[in-house]
Amino acid sequence: MDKIDPRARWIFSFAFLLSATMFWNATFLFIFFILAIIWYYFGKTKWKETRHGWFLISIMLFSMIVINTIITGGGAGGVVPPGGHVIWPQKFTIPLVNWEINFGLTVERLWFSLCQLMRLGGISLIFLLIPYTMDSRAYGATFHGLGMPDNVAYTMELAIRFIPTLARDLSVTLDAQKARGYEIEKVKGGIFKKIARIAPLLVPVTMNAIIGSEDVANAMDLRCFGQAKRTWIYPLEYHWWDYALIGFSALMLVGSIVAAHILDLGGFWTPEWFMNLFA
Amino acid sequence: MSEVKPLPLSIKDLSFQYNSRSTPAIKHISFDVNPGEVLLIAGSSGCGKTTLMRCINGLIPNAYHGEIKGEIELFGKSVFDIEMSEISQEVGTVLQDPERQILGTYVLNDVAFGLESLGMPTEKIFPRVDQALEKMGILYLRDRETFGTSGGEKQKIALAGVLAMKPRILLLDEPLASLDPASAMEALKIFRQLADEGLSVMIVEHRVEDVLAIKPERVIYMDEGEITYDGDRQGMMEVVDYTRIKLPAEVVLRRAKNEPPPEFEPVLKPQEGDLELLVEFEGVNFQYDEDYPFVLHDINFKINKGDIIAILGHNGSGKTTMVKHALGLLKPSQGHVYLEGNDTRDITVATAAKSVGYVFQSPTQMLFAPTVGDELAFGPKNLGFSKAEIQKSVKWAIETVHLEEELDTPPLALSFGQQKRISIASVLSMRSRLLMMDEPTAGQDYWNYRAFMDAILQMPGFDSIVFITHDLDLALIYANRIMILFDGQIVADGSPPEVLKDEDQLINYRILPTSLLKINQQFLPKTGSFYRAETLAHRIG
Repeated sequence: MDKIDPRARWIFSFAFLLSATMFWNATFLFIFFILAIIWYYFGKTKWKETRHGWFLISIMLFSMIVINTIITGGGAGGVVPPGGHVIWPQKFTIPLVNWEINFGLTVERLWFSLCQLMRLGGISLIFLLIPYTMDSRAYGATFHGLGMPDNVAYTMELAIRFIPTLARDLSVTLDAQKARGYEIEKVKGGIFKKIARIAPLLVPVTMNAIIGSEDVANAMDLRCFGQAKRTWIYPLEYHWWDYALIGFSALMLVGSIVAAHILDLGGFWTPEWFMNLFA
Repeated sequence: MSEVKPLPLSIKDLSFQYNSRSTPAIKHISFDVNPGEVLLIAGSSGCGKTTLMRCINGLIPNAYHGEIKGEIELFGKSVFDIEMSEISQEVGTVLQDPERQILGTYVLNDVAFGLESLGMPTEKIFPRVDQALEKMGILYLRDRETFGTSGGEKQKIALAGVLAMKPRILLLDEPLASLDPASAMEALKIFRQLADEGLSVMIVEHRVEDVLAIKPERVIYMDEGEITYDGDRQGMMEVVDYTRIKLPAEVVLRRAKNEPPPEFEPVLKPQEGDLELLVEFEGVNFQYDEDYPFVLHDINFKINKGDIIAILGHNGSGKTTMVKHALGLLKPSQGHVYLEGNDTRDITVATAAKSVGYVFQSPTQMLFAPTVGDELAFGPKNLGFSKAEIQKSVKWAIETVHLEEELDTPPLALSFGQQKRISIASVLSMRSRLLMMDEPTAGQDYWNYRAFMDAILQMPGFDSIVFITHDLDLALIYANRIMILFDGQIVADGSPPEVLKDEDQLINYRILPTSLLKINQQFLPKTGSFYRAETLAHRIG
């Protein structure tokens, strides 16, 4: 992965993202998912270093697939046709509290959630790899190389530079508020109440970031940022395999457009064998 | 006739008023700077030092807008007629917080930043970067990530980034603020060397006594936006108010003899007989992760009622890590910490907060509420106080820090010094018995930090006070017990005269003896204790 030019990696990643989001057809999504696994494998990352990233992605996948699709059905709206074959009791009561739940999971929604898992999982595999395998010095030069103006390109690199600073500030503020008896675990209630309860963390961190940004802007001005055409010392060079990857990315994107929008092969459908499993 | 070379910097009758303010920040400033000289600019917070620097390095009027009058010439050219990029190549500026000035994720990239911005060809950038790093003695850091470097290293990286642009004037804004004494002295020696090589070095600094060690050729003292002294360092020591900036102890001792002695009597006194134990560390070892090395080694000590403990130690010695254990923010990897007899492993931080109030270094790390009143009520509410108790505690806390009139003001709208007092009040309102402070004087000028420490030490309500500091004088004036940490181990613990008696040993622990320590040691047989210079002047008769 290190040998691939970062520009080629970004081009491939975006081409993958655009292509995968054109499909709900499980066959295509399965191919994309396998491609993402192969790509991720070449990243050679260790579980220990990526586990926090996967934890956050798991929360996102859980809320999108389990809560939004399987439980509420909202995520399947507009893709899965109404009705379908119900495989779970439509109504049941939660013991003790006697809450009546109107819950109608269908075979189609279950299959859709599998398609979602392959699509979102594949995209996650591709993009999670970037922060763990790309040299943090390469961001500015890469985005500049992809045609972005210097100030936009450097903003990306600066964001990476200040992530650890922000994380440290958050940790200090959390400690400072814990020292005043604040317990984040006890943040309960509705969404507005929750936001109000995390204000002791958010306000100081945000204020410090704003105050700090003045220093950062001054430091950049004082070192002539934006006052001449910038040199990027990070070496970027395309090799034959980069061209091959870019070519593959273009092919994947064009192929996806043709398959999904011209041949109309991208739509959602539930295979017969899966229906029979619940017959 | 030989041609007269223009001065590096010449300022004539300069005044500036920010658009957002109703009064000028600086007024009628005039002075010249010669090549190869170190110029110290001193003054209390808000005296206009930073505004003056912004005028010189072009941030005013390019980034900060307002009304400017007068003239600034760099090597004979008016700064108002030249581009910001040209000013930045002549005037290198190192800002107070190197953490915010470092823009690259790796040292090489950060130092190269200015040269990249100027569009210099890559093949010319690398030698310039290496040269700057070598000058700072940190070539070994070239390929390291910037985030993991120490405070002293960050300061040098920031300086290298500026020097790579080959400026002829160097502006340093409180460059010693985050450094331990030994690192500060290393930095000062570098500044002196740069001046000796021909650069004009301007240092804005509260730690005046430290800068005097490198013999600045000139000193400017500013007060309320104006220069009230411009001359040599000897002259400055005779005319400047010694309660406003820290002068060498022997100077204060001589001058203070004719003034009334300061009134200061700490509330807490060391206990005798049966000691009341508040905190006990028993065989504590600590590592942040099992893959990382231990940062605390076999820590054993007790905090008793009446203790005022100063914890000294170099950057990264483990001071903050150790203090966080007392509150249970960190739990020992091995050993035990007992808070009022309870193992901190068995209690929550919220429970510990009922006994220990911990004030962090910067008040902006904790202040968040819409009003000061809400801020002070936050802790007691979390600890489950009743409404009546909360009201009573808030009232007592705000009165103790003398900020009653600010109860409805947003805390973030207050001055830094007031915010600091509010952060103390927010701990006072929790009625904690033990007050712990991390670098309580950081970011405050000499007058303010002494007023602040005098006020804290005379406040009722605490059974013990513990503070972390780099400032040896702060420890010897205010503490009745000093603890020194070195590489995660307690290497000294006792009364100030006991702990500070061996100067060579202190230097080994990266603590530099100050003039106040030396003069106190000289008179110790007569005084029996350590005092601030003004008090000592009257004690020795």
